[in-house]
Amino acid sequence: MASNPTNKKGEPLQKLSKSDITRLGINSLTEQIAFSFERMQAPGWTMNMIPGFKKIYGDSKEDLKEFMTYNMEFMNTEPHMATLLQGMVLAMEEKGADRKLIQGVRNGLFGPMAGIGDSIFWFTVLPITAGIACSLAKSGSILGPLVFIGIYLVVGFSRIWFAHLGYSLGSKAVEKVGTATRYLTGAAGILGTTVIGALIPSYVSIAFQKKLVFGVGSTTVQSVFDQLLPNVLPLAVVFLIYWLFKKKHVNTIAVIGCVILFGLLMSLLNWM
Amino acid sequence: MQLTLVQGLLLFIVGTICQFDQQTEAFYWFRPMVAAFFTGIILGNVELGVTCGAVTELAYLGMTNVGGTVPPDPLFAGIMTVVLAYTTGQSAETALGLSYPFALLAQGIGILFKTVYSFVPHKLDKYAAEADVRHFNSLVWGVTIFEAVFCGFIIFLCSYALQAPIQAFVNSFPTWVTHGLEVAGGILPAVGLAMLLLTTLKPETYPYLFIGFVMATFLKMPNVLPVAIIGASLAAIDYMYQKRFDEQKAEAIDDGGDSDGI
Repeated sequence: MASNPTNKKGEPLQKLSKSDITRLGINSLTEQIAFSFERMQAPGWTMNMIPGFKKIYGDSKEDLKEFMTYNMEFMNTEPHMATLLQGMVLAMEEKGADRKLIQGVRNGLFGPMAGIGDSIFWFTVLPITAGIACSLAKSGSILGPLVFIGIYLVVGFSRIWFAHLGYSLGSKAVEKVGTATRYLTGAAGILGTTVIGALIPSYVSIAFQKKLVFGVGSTTVQSVFDQLLPNVLPLAVVFLIYWLFKKKHVNTIAVIGCVILFGLLMSLLNWM
Repeated sequence: MQLTLVQGLLLFIVGTICQFDQQTEAFYWFRPMVAAFFTGIILGNVELGVTCGAVTELAYLGMTNVGGTVPPDPLFAGIMTVVLAYTTGQSAETALGLSYPFALLAQGIGILFKTVYSFVPHKLDKYAAEADVRHFNSLVWGVTIFEAVFCGFIIFLCSYALQAPIQAFVNSFPTWVTHGLEVAGGILPAVGLAMLLLTTLKPETYPYLFIGFVMATFLKMPNVLPVAIIGASLAAIDYMYQKRFDEQKAEAIDDGGDSDGI
């Protein structure tokens, strides 16, 4: 009579299929919605996993209550890493693991995983993609934005892969993720820093006016810098701002304000 | 040039979609590169959209919402830089400087929403305790869509409704001011890059920064892809040595344990 299987609390009924995991990956595109400072990503994080959880536990209200409640605790990580963690959580739910354990894994991993996700997606993929797209777009070629959109479609849907990865790692993942995190963060840091080094001369433009010379001589100020090292001014400016952030803890808005004032001053003096 | 009402309304739609994407971070359509491209299409000047997108993307490269923070808004910056370049006839760099107040306005709106929305999880806790999935999901989607539509509306106001006063204001600038903003626009990518370096630059990664810098300064390259390949190769070399080093260290500790036992 009953179309849905019923069960008593705490007993997983069904295993998830490959397409359920794929669906989790697609669902998790909205992992960050209803973001607030209090619980951050918890609402979207919880919502994405409900269909999979319902498949495992059928109609059991008791289990769903527990599941939704512990997942509504604070959550904040890089969205792709969230998908991976969601895969792990569902794998553990499917095995009927103790929810205290699952909760521990969830709460213990999202912080460290945010570190690795940010270093891959924000500090490596974004500078490289933006670097390539901007070099195409500077001359007005629509290839720039199209390449950018194309790469990020792949990056977005790579969540499907992360969901499968997380599910297959399951609860074994805890130690593995720890070591992999260390190596991958190191590697992503090297790649990201190399690319940022190349973006400095390509995109920061600062040079003195050609007519600005020393005294009555004919040596222009800019030629002195160029002979020293081409693009030394962009490099120096980046390091100066880096130092202001790092050592002086000046906030972004103040730094941008100073850059704008500096530009106005240089223009008024006719130096740049 | 003037924006028509239709263009204003289309910007409202694009703004809403891109803002929704900014909240999910799904496809990065909130990045200036994409938002400015769409704006260029709407204004019938794709080339302007693309060039403004490139300039703005670089300036906002380091403005990330890492760790749940809200930076000056890259979406508003992307759209408004194109709109301002179009309506005032200024260069992309100058328009970038002019768009900054709008990025700050949107940052304020973002912080306001994320603070006010702190009431949402409490309501959601209640639904969770009742296993009420239907209400849970509609509240989650509802607040997100509301924020997206609200921001789309603000974009409509900034671009369409305010264009005449902004145009008059900008046209009253003497040349040294507009040129000064252009100079600042050229330097602003340094802020974005310095912010990226805050996370990636460590004593052990300094050499890689200079490798990339020297390559881009002295080699003629169409884009940064060659540098990315060199960077990936260096990362792979480092990874292999690091792994071998850790294995040897582990073996050395094992040996040490045996000899201590004598």
